[in-house]
Amino acid sequence: MATKIRRLTLSTGWLLVAFAAGLPLFGVILGLWPSVPIAWADITRFFAYKGLMSSVTSTLFLSLSAPLLALYVAFMVYSQYRFNPRWQALEKRLAPLLSLPHLAVALGLVYLFSPGGMVYSAFAGIIGHAAPDWLGLPRKSLLTMILAISIKEVPFFLLIFSALGRQLAIKDWLLQGRALGYSESASWWLLVFPIMLKQSRLALLAAMAYTLSVLDISLLIGPNIPELYAVALYNWQTGFTSADQANAFLGNLLLLIMLATLITGIYLHEWLVVMRLRTNAVMAKPLNIARLSRVFTAWLGFFSLLTVAILVTFLLWSLGWNSQSTLSSINWSPALWQDEWFFMQGPLLNSLHIAFFSSILGVAITLLALELQQQSQRYLPDYIWLLAILLPQLSMVHGWRIAHSDLSASYTTSWIILTHIPFTFAYSYLVLRGPFQSLNRHYELVAASFGYTYWQRWWQIRFMLLRPALLSALAIAFSVSIAQYIPTLIIGAGRITTITTEAVAIASGNEQSITAVYMLVQAILPFIAFLIASVLAQRIRGSFDATHH
Amino acid sequence: MMWLTSKSAKALGAVKRPTNASGLLTLCFLSLLVLLPFAEVNAQDNPSSEASKRANSQQWQQTLASAQGETVYFYAWGGSKPVNDYLRWAAKEVARRYKIRLRHVKVADISEAVSRLKVENGRNSAIDLLWINGENFNFLKSQHLLLGDLWQQIPNSALLATKKLSLHSDFGVPMDGFEVPWGVGQFNVMANKGLFDHETLTPETLLNAAKQNPGRISYPRPPEFHGTTFLKQLLVALSHDDKRLYESATPTAQNELLPLLWNYLDRLHPLTWQQGKAFPSSNTEQLSLLQQHQLALAVSFNPNQLAKEQSEKRIPDSVERVYFAQGAITNSHNLAVPKGAQNPNGAKVVINFLLSEQAQRQKLKGNWGDPSVITPVLDNASTLPAQQELHSSWQQIIEDSWQQKYGA
Repeated sequence: MATKIRRLTLSTGWLLVAFAAGLPLFGVILGLWPSVPIAWADITRFFAYKGLMSSVTSTLFLSLSAPLLALYVAFMVYSQYRFNPRWQALEKRLAPLLSLPHLAVALGLVYLFSPGGMVYSAFAGIIGHAAPDWLGLPRKSLLTMILAISIKEVPFFLLIFSALGRQLAIKDWLLQGRALGYSESASWWLLVFPIMLKQSRLALLAAMAYTLSVLDISLLIGPNIPELYAVALYNWQTGFTSADQANAFLGNLLLLIMLATLITGIYLHEWLVVMRLRTNAVMAKPLNIARLSRVFTAWLGFFSLLTVAILVTFLLWSLGWNSQSTLSSINWSPALWQDEWFFMQGPLLNSLHIAFFSSILGVAITLLALELQQQSQRYLPDYIWLLAILLPQLSMVHGWRIAHSDLSASYTTSWIILTHIPFTFAYSYLVLRGPFQSLNRHYELVAASFGYTYWQRWWQIRFMLLRPALLSALAIAFSVSIAQYIPTLIIGAGRITTITTEAVAIASGNEQSITAVYMLVQAILPFIAFLIASVLAQRIRGSFDATHH
Repeated sequence: MMWLTSKSAKALGAVKRPTNASGLLTLCFLSLLVLLPFAEVNAQDNPSSEASKRANSQQWQQTLASAQGETVYFYAWGGSKPVNDYLRWAAKEVARRYKIRLRHVKVADISEAVSRLKVENGRNSAIDLLWINGENFNFLKSQHLLLGDLWQQIPNSALLATKKLSLHSDFGVPMDGFEVPWGVGQFNVMANKGLFDHETLTPETLLNAAKQNPGRISYPRPPEFHGTTFLKQLLVALSHDDKRLYESATPTAQNELLPLLWNYLDRLHPLTWQQGKAFPSSNTEQLSLLQQHQLALAVSFNPNQLAKEQSEKRIPDSVERVYFAQGAITNSHNLAVPKGAQNPNGAKVVINFLLSEQAQRQKLKGNWGDPSVITPVLDNASTLPAQQELHSSWQQIIEDSWQQKYGA
């Protein structure tokens, strides 16, 4: 009997875990089923769509270059900070810096640096006449997109590197490098970089898949001649003519082909880098890039400054600044906040409600997945667990939408929570796997020898040891849920509004001041989550220092 | 299609003369017969009394009673603050008067709602009410996805100013009671003073303005509807108001008329904002570029927008309203209820309120300034000379060919 119950529990557990991890694949596959019969004429018309090729190439270029740029910058920052007293400061500030939503970074850059933006106007004020337009960041362009995404992804890669760094014996390698007569910076590139690059393939793919199908910032700051591929695909998916629907189906296929291209790109880049470094090492050529690294000593200061500048810009706009005014002529007033507060409560409560449940459930299922693997002594490869962030969102949500409307399902927050779980699950898996696997089993052995049962050991020792990691996983899952746009919009039919969907709807209008209000709230929510997590974690550490072996 | 509508309207108009009860009876009978339930609106010499009579009918009282406590999800474009504010005001009023919760679901483009209705295919819908016109209406009507008989069922539709405004058809497609007019759009341009010499503009003066102010002129990227309408205005002017624009677009007409537009745009685009390599995504984005002095003009479908924005001090007084010399393209924007709506009664009560004198006056006098469609609140002062809307088939053709020519 007991074994039967145990088996039943186990299989239920696996089922639950498979559900959360498999939902993205389910969506993608369902979306591959054509909703209209596809004729040859549809295919020729699809490929005759003007701008398709340039849209595909510019999107591929963006999705390859921005994450790679971010990875290089992150590595240089890491190499400058890792064995330096500044590392502590960076690690402490990493989480809040990571929490700034993509949308806020993108719009913040435009508000600050575009022609007519704050920095641009201030500069014009100083030199006395309007600065030429080319000095400003274009409002809509590939360059703006690349900048926004690469700036935003640096903290993400730093987080990945900091987790990797704990597993790799970097210090020893650097020593060996020195023994062989290489400078420290050369050793970083020749010895550490190739391994780090190989180990961050999945992170790189996650960033690329995100860039490939991100809709909100593509709409707001992406180029529109031609538009980025995600925008074109979304227009087809929401179009109603049969031509649009055929395009949507074919476009979805093409999106997956583009994803495959990006994966090839990752391996190709890796191979090229290793070749290049090997030649450099053999020929003893100096590494130009190693000299560049030193610039990034200032990264933490720069990035913190940028974050503060963005938040201050939004704050100024929300308090009455606008592009007509000079500093002296502004009527500072919180009127807008007072007006909007009433209408913001609904979306705010929805956001909190969805983020609260989807983050807790996501983290719980992650724990379950790790525990089940631990018990069966077999860890499945990461990409199986991380499908939600490795596959393009537009494809999977397209499939979910078909299933959702075939079920005649309701438009309630529970459905949205369900669609957020794969994402909160994937991110918390990314964060928790390391700490979970590297838990010191010694304590549990000791407890077992004192006669503690399995569940007692699990709850009173493993869970307690994991608490700080769990808290940061919760905070990350929470901010992931807050920033979700496509699933919330499409599964909720727009009826369930969150801070993010409202922010995008308002940002597409011309009300920069109200947009600023919503952007601030959207940025503050994850920040608060991280703050609470870090305060709690500090308390736990204070009372229970065993976590830091 | 246009002639059919006006003809049948005339035919029915002739019937109504004998007035009063017998006239009304004949009329109801007739409109039931032909399923064109808009005719009785013309029938009354005093629309207000007709509206209140209908409001007191048992049927409407039942609708009101069953609408209580419903939540009406209103899918409407959400990119404009004055519109959003107006809907917030309406939601408050509707809650107070009828105990209905009105929720504005902000969409970036109403075609999102149309494609959702297509996927739902008449089943229980997420949408109770939508703000629609043109191609989107044409599609939903042809797919039988809309609730009919709205003009008959909604008392305040008796107030509609059908004599003064052309409210029976939408882009050449008869409404047939599947949608109710809500407001009137007139396409105009808000431009820096001195950009054009006159109150009107032509393709030539626009090109000259672009030459003198390189990089300061642009228009919303089609298929955004303001951008498409801008192209339509140019096409009307360039083709000297060719009659074929008001009929279904034949291949010959396309081959003869469209090149006029493309040749013109080929000359205009190198002189526009970012050399035509990017366009504002919407009229609102264009407006914010005007506010930031990046552009010298912005387009609008609301003839009162400039005055409203200036009174709010959001656009400097150095901007004036101009329109195309052939007249401003004029159309109505309308309200419709999907067949699968879960709260159709609530939706009808909301429409009835939005057509009331108070709501239409608030729409005109408040921040939005959208022209009224009902007789008691007509506003002739700000009305521009009207240019007929093109046949709906031109819309898709212009958008598709624009994409093929300039989309990359």
